[in-house]
Amino acid sequence: MKYLDKTIEEIHEALKKKEIKPIDLVEESFERIEKNKELNAYITLNKEEARKRAQELEEKEVGDNLLFGLPIAVKDNIITKDLKTTCASHILENFIPIYNATVVDKINENNMIIIGKTNMDEFAMGSSSRTSYFGAPKNPWNKEKISGGSSGGSATTIAARDVLFALGTDTGGSIRQPASYTGIVGMKPTYGRVSRYGLVAFASSLDQIGPMTKNVYENALLLNVIAGADDKDLTSAEKGKEDFTRFIGKDIKGMKIALPNYFMSDIVTEEIRNEVEKAKKILEENGAIVDYVDMKYLDKAVTLYQIIAMGEASSNLARFDGIRYGYTTENPKDIEDLYLETRKNGFGKEVKRRIMVGSYLLSGENAKIYYNKALSIRDDMKKEFDRIFKDYDLIIGPTTTTTAYDLTDPMDDPSKSFMDDVLVIPVNMAGLPGLSLPIGFGKENMPIGLHIIGNSFEEATIYQLASFLEKKLNLDLNPRKDDENV
Amino acid sequence: MNDKLTKEEVLHVAHLARIKVDDDEIEKYQVELKQLLNDVDKIKDVEGYDEERMIAPWPKDTILREDEPGEMLNPKEVLKNAPKHSGNYIEVPIVISESEGA
Repeated sequence: MKYLDKTIEEIHEALKKKEIKPIDLVEESFERIEKNKELNAYITLNKEEARKRAQELEEKEVGDNLLFGLPIAVKDNIITKDLKTTCASHILENFIPIYNATVVDKINENNMIIIGKTNMDEFAMGSSSRTSYFGAPKNPWNKEKISGGSSGGSATTIAARDVLFALGTDTGGSIRQPASYTGIVGMKPTYGRVSRYGLVAFASSLDQIGPMTKNVYENALLLNVIAGADDKDLTSAEKGKEDFTRFIGKDIKGMKIALPNYFMSDIVTEEIRNEVEKAKKILEENGAIVDYVDMKYLDKAVTLYQIIAMGEASSNLARFDGIRYGYTTENPKDIEDLYLETRKNGFGKEVKRRIMVGSYLLSGENAKIYYNKALSIRDDMKKEFDRIFKDYDLIIGPTTTTTAYDLTDPMDDPSKSFMDDVLVIPVNMAGLPGLSLPIGFGKENMPIGLHIIGNSFEEATIYQLASFLEKKLNLDLNPRKDDENV
Repeated sequence: MNDKLTKEEVLHVAHLARIKVDDDEIEKYQVELKQLLNDVDKIKDVEGYDEERMIAPWPKDTILREDEPGEMLNPKEVLKNAPKHSGNYIEVPIVISESEGA
């Protein structure tokens, strides 16, 4: 029973011919998750309901839906009706949502099966998933290493081949950076492409839900399912139905690609720059034009992010007050004491630091000095991207400055988690789509990712380039040895 | 540039955030919060930018929907997650005491 290692077309055929049933895939997923338990990819498994769903699907026609009956993992900051959603926080440790996020409804309508809720940094604040109240996930390539974050559990379970599909969320690189660290494909779609209704808000002007998969094609298939306008999220875009796989397999002759000098500066390790150079060469040999370009403001992105993300977070997380849902303190003296004690005990260190700094940055005159100025520079940064996209189809660079580091590396530097995302944050600032594609390995045999950035709503062009490179490189991206297979 | 906030500054920031800080935590926050504030201070060095602001990467104006009744959440369901409730109400500690009352 190794269906999850087959291609998606093979699984689909087997389901269609009734050689297997959805329940077989669900059981195989749970077996693999059990076997990989020490990777700590999940906070909650949806065992009973997933099995029930699988049996219900036996009554339905498989049809032409390639995703029919396939298990999917969902990051634990996306709410799921009657299935615990914790945001990896003590404050929501027992929170059971009473409605579904729009993406969850879409997954269900598309006859996929939610297998569980994945581990993450608490409220998606962090870059290594080590701020999780439930302990960090481990990297399937090397269990001493981080999986990255904040969507570390989703990245882990895809890399470990427990499931074919996972959802992550990306506020400042939280899909792309862990995808890079674990050798998988992760896409942050354009702001507005996917409804955020039911995503527990961290920084509302930056947050976006996106697909995480082992290859480019499957990634585009999942985006087909979750994209689209939603009356419940007025920042979701009316763009009409679009097939994100439509340019996959097309050649890249004449494509114009920009490679910003800042992305190849000495903030990035030499081994990663070398892999990006190799990818650049392949693209050029196949008729693409790749130019080094200068871009202003890229080096300011982390500062903007710290101000905007912490500011928005302090406001969004004000809703965790110990009154309407979640953890609450026992026997408070009065209402003020209830807030203070609940939030002190309910939130972890990283989250508290960010709320405190965010509250300060938005208070009184500071709002002008920091927040308003950050919004102005953010606008300039977007214009800088617009300028590049007048002449180029795509922008590329490394996804991360290093490969995944040790789980035991110190966590006492409050700036570290922001600096880990220095190359991916500009994309959230400008609301653009960006994808991380595995392109090689470093000297410690840890994966290296290429970051491909598109203009707004140009995800299909990103997939075109990514799938072209994926095919040319033809890397072995399965960290599991054959003898470890279920 | 100081490498520490004062104790009073930490307590002020903690109050804004409605997060209690114990005495033995203050010292740690003096250093950590200051480091983050030094980080964001880098924005003061940026010059020559355009005043126009981007609040969100969203080009459209506010979208309004028709004011039509839709599905509502069931109060019983909503209350299931409330730590304390009574009937159709969420219970909270006294907000205005009799002595302070109007």
